[in-house]
Amino acid sequence: MSNRAAATDGSGTGPDPATYEHARDELAQVVARLEAGGLGLDESLALWERGEHLARICTRFLDGARQRVEAALARADED
Amino acid sequence: MTPPATAGGPAASGTSAGGRPAPFPATAADTSRENPWPVRALAQRMAQYVDRAPAAWIEGQIAQLGRSSAAATVFLTLRDAAADISLQVTCARSTLAALPVPPTEGARVVVHGRFEFYAPRGSLSFRADELHPVGLGELLARLERLRRLLAAEGLTAPERKRRLPFLPHTVGLVTGKASAAESDVLANARARWPAVRFRVENPAVQGLSAVTQMIAALQRLDADPHVEVIVLARGGGSTEDLLPFSDEALCRAVSACRTPVVSAIGHEPDHPIVDDVADVRCSTPTDAGKRVVPDARAEAAAVDGLRTRARRALAGWVDGEAARLSRLTAATVLADPLAPVERRADEIGRWRDRGRAVITARIDRDDRDVAHRRAQLTALGPAATLARGYAVVQVGHLVLRSVDEAPAGAQLRIRVADGALAARSLGTEQPDPVDGTADGGPAAPTRAARRARRTT
Repeated sequence: MSNRAAATDGSGTGPDPATYEHARDELAQVVARLEAGGLGLDESLALWERGEHLARICTRFLDGARQRVEAALARADED
Repeated sequence: MTPPATAGGPAASGTSAGGRPAPFPATAADTSRENPWPVRALAQRMAQYVDRAPAAWIEGQIAQLGRSSAAATVFLTLRDAAADISLQVTCARSTLAALPVPPTEGARVVVHGRFEFYAPRGSLSFRADELHPVGLGELLARLERLRRLLAAEGLTAPERKRRLPFLPHTVGLVTGKASAAESDVLANARARWPAVRFRVENPAVQGLSAVTQMIAALQRLDADPHVEVIVLARGGGSTEDLLPFSDEALCRAVSACRTPVVSAIGHEPDHPIVDDVADVRCSTPTDAGKRVVPDARAEAAAVDGLRTRARRALAGWVDGEAARLSRLTAATVLADPLAPVERRADEIGRWRDRGRAVITARIDRDDRDVAHRRAQLTALGPAATLARGYAVVQVGHLVLRSVDEAPAGAQLRIRVADGALAARSLGTEQPDPVDGTADGGPAAPTRAARRARRTT
């Protein structure tokens, strides 16, 4: 698991992960820490916002993938 | 033995007695146009030279036999078995008479004797003092010796055997003219491969000149670049008939050929020496005819067979590959490319929901916590009392508990249900006549004050 989670020191969102897998792994970590509890309100909020941000990034990756597949299928249908 | 060279001939016959110069030149080299030798001088020297030649056993075939039975000396021509070379032989009639069976022309004989120069006619002949016919047994024994000799020389070694060409451009055939062997070879070869080309040589295959003619025929065919295989064929015959085919010169000629040679002599049991040196031995001419060319029909059938097998194999291969390809493309991974994307999207959705659940739960919990604390605050707080019409007086931040704390002029803060008032203290109020402390002095605390002290 990348140690990118440490970047979310509550001072806003860390750098965006480069790949879908990194984003998803970090998202899993964020949720795990949130579920573990024992965090201050501020820290929880910051962590939650990071989680939402990561979820958006993952979704963007997946949408891109979906488009590539549909484009390929369209091309395949042509020839 | 080579005939004496004219130059440098033998030394002059002995030196003449008493040192007188010989009547004619001593050596041939001394002879000259002006001072030549007479015939007798040459003849005499020739005779001496020939006398020195050693005796030898010579073998050959009697080509001619002198007819005159009267003369004491018999003249006959002895011919070499393999080469066109003959020798004039003279022998005493008694020598011939001594034989059980007088030899006839064509008989093979072996003679012992020496060269002799007959000066009167200047003729050279071989004086035979012994003459024996060569019997069949002797002949066969000699053939075996020859077979072993050739084998020892390696001429019959299997690794020398050359492979016959699959389809010769032209087939050379050495056989008797219009013989059964010739027709057998031609018919059988043409039956198998109608387009076969022959170059036929018809030397004598029997008798005196058989060997030399066959060798010549062989060499002509060997020289022809088109001829790629040579068949030496002869029909059945007696052992003597087949003798030429065991002749050393013929065998050497066959093994010397660059073109592969097939020997097909006589019938199955016949095994002349040429069979050993030939590249391939066939038992009969018919066999040879079949052996030198492929069977057209069989080859065509084989080619067709290969073509269909190739086509079937190819078709099979294509079908196999097509099937494999369809199996691959049917794999769900390709058939439904979006599945993995959806699966991951669901996963992200789940993570997001859990995140939201946690944060909402957390905030709800904090809300409840604050509300709870607020309730406690209000419960502890004066609000309800104020609502019932009471007020809370504070001096600074402290709640006023005793009149002493708010002497006249002190800044007061009075909180009522709906807000707070600022006020200034006028000092302690005079108690109403009922409780007797009207003089307003500090000497005695009021009952309220006393009560207040007790409750704190």
